[in-house]
Amino acid sequence: MADQPYTQPAPAVSAALAETNIRVASGPGGARVVVYGAVFDPRARPSDVVVLVRGPGRSVRLARKSRILGLWLNGPPKVVEGAPGFYRIASTRPLAEIADGGSRRDLGLGVDAMRFGASPQTGPTQFGAPGAGVSGRAADDPRWREAVVRLYARRGLYGEDPAGVRFVDPGLFRAEIGLPAAAAGTYRAEVLLIQDGRPVARRARSLQLEPAGPALGLQVAAHRRPWLYGVAAAALALAAGWLASLAFRRT
Amino acid sequence: MDLYLPIAEVSVNAPLVIALAAAVGFVSAALGVGGGLLMVPVLMFLGVPPAVAVATEASHVAATSTAGVIAFTRRRAVDFRMGGVLAAGGAVGAVIGVELFRRLRLAGQADLVVSLAYFLFLSVVGGLMLAESLTAILRRRRGEPAAPRRDLRPLWLFGLPLRLRFPQSRLYISVIPPLALGAIAGVLSATMGIGGGFLLVPALAYWLRMPAGLVVGASLLPIIVTTALATVLHAGRNQTVDLALALLLLAGGVLGAQLGAQAAARVRSEELRALLAVVVLVVGLKMGLDLFVRPEEPFVLLAGAG
Repeated sequence: MADQPYTQPAPAVSAALAETNIRVASGPGGARVVVYGAVFDPRARPSDVVVLVRGPGRSVRLARKSRILGLWLNGPPKVVEGAPGFYRIASTRPLAEIADGGSRRDLGLGVDAMRFGASPQTGPTQFGAPGAGVSGRAADDPRWREAVVRLYARRGLYGEDPAGVRFVDPGLFRAEIGLPAAAAGTYRAEVLLIQDGRPVARRARSLQLEPAGPALGLQVAAHRRPWLYGVAAAALALAAGWLASLAFRRT
Repeated sequence: MDLYLPIAEVSVNAPLVIALAAAVGFVSAALGVGGGLLMVPVLMFLGVPPAVAVATEASHVAATSTAGVIAFTRRRAVDFRMGGVLAAGGAVGAVIGVELFRRLRLAGQADLVVSLAYFLFLSVVGGLMLAESLTAILRRRRGEPAAPRRDLRPLWLFGLPLRLRFPQSRLYISVIPPLALGAIAGVLSATMGIGGGFLLVPALAYWLRMPAGLVVGASLLPIIVTTALATVLHAGRNQTVDLALALLLLAGGVLGAQLGAQAAARVRSEELRALLAVVVLVVGLKMGLDLFVRPEEPFVLLAGAG
């Protein structure tokens, strides 16, 4: 775990995130990240805790519709790089009350302030249509990045929970963030202690999520052994039809 | 009771999907035509990406058609020679169709093409069905006999080469029309996830003049071949077949077809065909609405994300 205390000019604040435990629990709805932590501050200043879970960065391919001959058709596809595959941030208070816009953008806190990484993760867990064509990179156009944020937020992949971190005891906080059932890869969990709108202490940890369960086994099979999967699907369909005909014969 | 579909990457209400597949299966079995065109639009309304809906529905159609062809074979109502020629054309059509679909998908236009194709087909088929069923209802009310089967064979059909005898159908015709017909049905299977029966049955009956009782049986063979092949090809080339969704569709479809076949003898089919035609038109209209009305969200995510 990385522990990077930020030094402040006098008067110094002595606070830390002590014993921050980040666990991943599996359940029927998917995995959850559970964070327990303690804030140690001898001056007992009002503190806010922010817990952020980010998924691996990906290249997102999207298109913008435009009206052609009366029909709304997709324009040429563009790629936005480095969009987090998942971004959920929980906090003790609404983020806008914890820190101002500038600070939030510097720290990358908030769905409207998240930072897009530079290089997407490529590896066996990233699937896509090989050879997908793009007409350009849209990294410089903010409207396309905003679109990605909107579309992913709509899918539930991005979100804020302004009351997701609770102090269960003075100095002891708890947060729980649900992870989508599908995504696998290297996630990053960050816990920040914020006082007076400025980060005072920070802990970060990488979480490795492996595909699990029959649903994900199917997804892996479909992409790793596509032809075998396809033949199996067709065979299953034909067998089901044959079995159905046996059942019909009785009536 | 939500189920996460790993290839579609969405969650659906499993009992709802089974019920809808059962309804479509019931309609297909009871009325013989029109139900299959509704399954893909329904899946799209539920949030399944069009490419996955098309590829997975192909497997569903393969299953129901297999059950049908076995039933027809027992009654010796399948002309395997004609069905085989149709299926050969269908295989070629399916390969072409899947490749075409793949290119469209990579260009980011597959979803739109599916929507547009369904809008056109649903409107045309719905309109024709409505006209035909209303005419049949009126004719019955007036006590007129059913219209004789019209001969729609064009003259040039008789001059084509490569003639083959089809003893069971008592035909001696060129293989080119059935091959071409099968190929068209194959392309439709691969790009829309349908069987193509709504095209094959009238074409075999009116255009090639197969005996009425053999038409449906012969049409089922190319449907099975094209949809099964489309399933394999879509999975292999595009990775768009979702087995979890397929299982839901199979469960509902088999149940619905069972009930529908039993109901087929007992119901007045003209009224139901008219009702189905209205449903088909409404669904087609909804597809068209999405194409012609300004979308509230102008951006759309495409497959092929890294």
